[in-house]
Amino acid sequence: MATAILYDSTRCTACRACQVACKQWNELEVEETTNRGTYENPPDLSANTRMKIKFTEVPKNVGIDWLFTRRACMHCTDASCVKVCPSGALFYDGRDGFVAYDRDLCTGCGYCVEFCPFDVPRTERNVITGLSTMNKCTFCTTPGLNRIEAGEKPACVTTCPTGALLYDDRDKLVAIGKQRVQTLKTAGSNNANLFGETELNGLHVLYVLEDSPDAYGLPVDPKVPGVAIAWKDVIQPLGWIMGGVTIVGLGLNYLVARQAKIRKEQTVKKEE
Amino acid sequence: MAKEVVRYRKATRALHHVHTAAFVVLFLTGLVLFIPQLGFLAQGGWTRLLHRIAAVIFVVAPVLYVLFNWEAAKKGIKEAFTWGAEDLNWLKAAPGYYFFNDESKMPPQGHMNTGQKMWWFIVLVFGALFVLTGIFMWFLKDVLPAASFQWMVFVHDVAFIVTGCMLFVHIYLGVIHPLMTEAWKSITKGTVSAEYAQSHHGKWFKEASKKKPKGA
Ligand code: HEM
Ligand code: SF4
Repeated sequence: MATAILYDSTRCTACRACQVACKQWNELEVEETTNRGTYENPPDLSANTRMKIKFTEVPKNVGIDWLFTRRACMHCTDASCVKVCPSGALFYDGRDGFVAYDRDLCTGCGYCVEFCPFDVPRTERNVITGLSTMNKCTFCTTPGLNRIEAGEKPACVTTCPTGALLYDDRDKLVAIGKQRVQTLKTAGSNNANLFGETELNGLHVLYVLEDSPDAYGLPVDPKVPGVAIAWKDVIQPLGWIMGGVTIVGLGLNYLVARQAKIRKEQTVKKEE
Repeated sequence: MAKEVVRYRKATRALHHVHTAAFVVLFLTGLVLFIPQLGFLAQGGWTRLLHRIAAVIFVVAPVLYVLFNWEAAKKGIKEAFTWGAEDLNWLKAAPGYYFFNDESKMPPQGHMNTGQKMWWFIVLVFGALFVLTGIFMWFLKDVLPAASFQWMVFVHDVAFIVTGCMLFVHIYLGVIHPLMTEAWKSITKGTVSAEYAQSHHGKWFKEASKKKPKGA
């Protein structure tokens, strides 16, 4: 059984209580930021900010429209990060299917940062030593801070005062999401859609959007990068085969060549 | 004592050993990111730090060598890119020799035989690829578009697989193969017997005995 989070952008007021709750529950440090002429804050995800509300300003005849989105891990069913993670620090949660993260196992390689189609994982890196650890939303399953195991909802969902965030069975949320999209369409938002139902075989974070995903800066058709497939499913298995064939071949060569050498030495002796 | 021919000078041997050590460290610290079952060894990233330290040696050692041994380096690099019809004949005869000890069809070889040249060529080309992609992944991670980084890891991995397999072959031929009796000596002590030089590097031996004997 899969569970999920549903984020309804049209019900979000961008109060950012979820951002605060996330930091508080997960013991993430506060960041000092500067006024950039927007209410959106902090400017980006970071090793200390696993989720934030993003503000997209769309100019209207008078003033602007605000499009709000939630920036955090989407918990893909086909997660690129899990595919490229060399140490198993990123893995599928066996019970619910979202993408869990064990920070203790992280090597800091940062491959997940470069392969995530949603540009989510963040690291704090020392450029010279390369040492770093990654951070991203764990669906509140961080060992020791596991709300799901304790039967609680994720911190952000618990805090949301408007009902823009829901946590439930994924199937149930898909139904609710579709219903809300229908309501939006009836009200005149023709581009309204449910993001995440089928993307990457189903995300564990669903968005109700009143406009197309790219209006929110979301990828329209997110994919596992082709390089990841070529690398992990083609080149690396080939590497195993090449390595195996090489070692076996050398072993065989040794057996044959040693025999040949002994035989030759014997014939030489006989001739003498 | 049988006559000895100088094959590798001290500086060349030193470079070989330092570079090998760096390569093996790079190989092993890379391997733990390649094999998921070994990933736990890289926890905390200390293997990645070691990878960087070895990478510096991997780059600095040959640069120093080239600076102080410009002539030998030039000659050596030229060797890797000089190929002829003899090489084809060698390739044809090699299986017979390396499996069945049949020396009859082996064309006399220069300072490096075709196989050694192939490995040397791979070392130069893939070494450059390693350094290039490695430097990008190390220092330009934050600047580089994600798609470029993805290709860098990919190429780095391909180079790893190719050179890794060939490293096994290289070590095997240098240390284990029943006929390569003096390869190990040539890189540790620097010399081989005249007999070995004659049978394994006939062309080179002829030239070397004409001139004053001098290795690369
Ligand atoms: C100047 C030389 C080199 C540099 C600068 C370099 C740098 C890097 C960097 C930055 C990474 C990415 C992971 C990380 O951030 O730690 C990496 C991964 C790796 N390197 Fe190197 N490297 C070099 C040479 C080599 C050599 C000679 C080998 C093998 C013989 C090697 C094998 C690997 C492997 C197997 C990986 C992991 C790839 C994977 O995840 O599958 N590297 N290297
Ligand atoms: S959104 Fe990115 S970090 Fe989250 S599961 Fe998908 S690939 Fe991994």
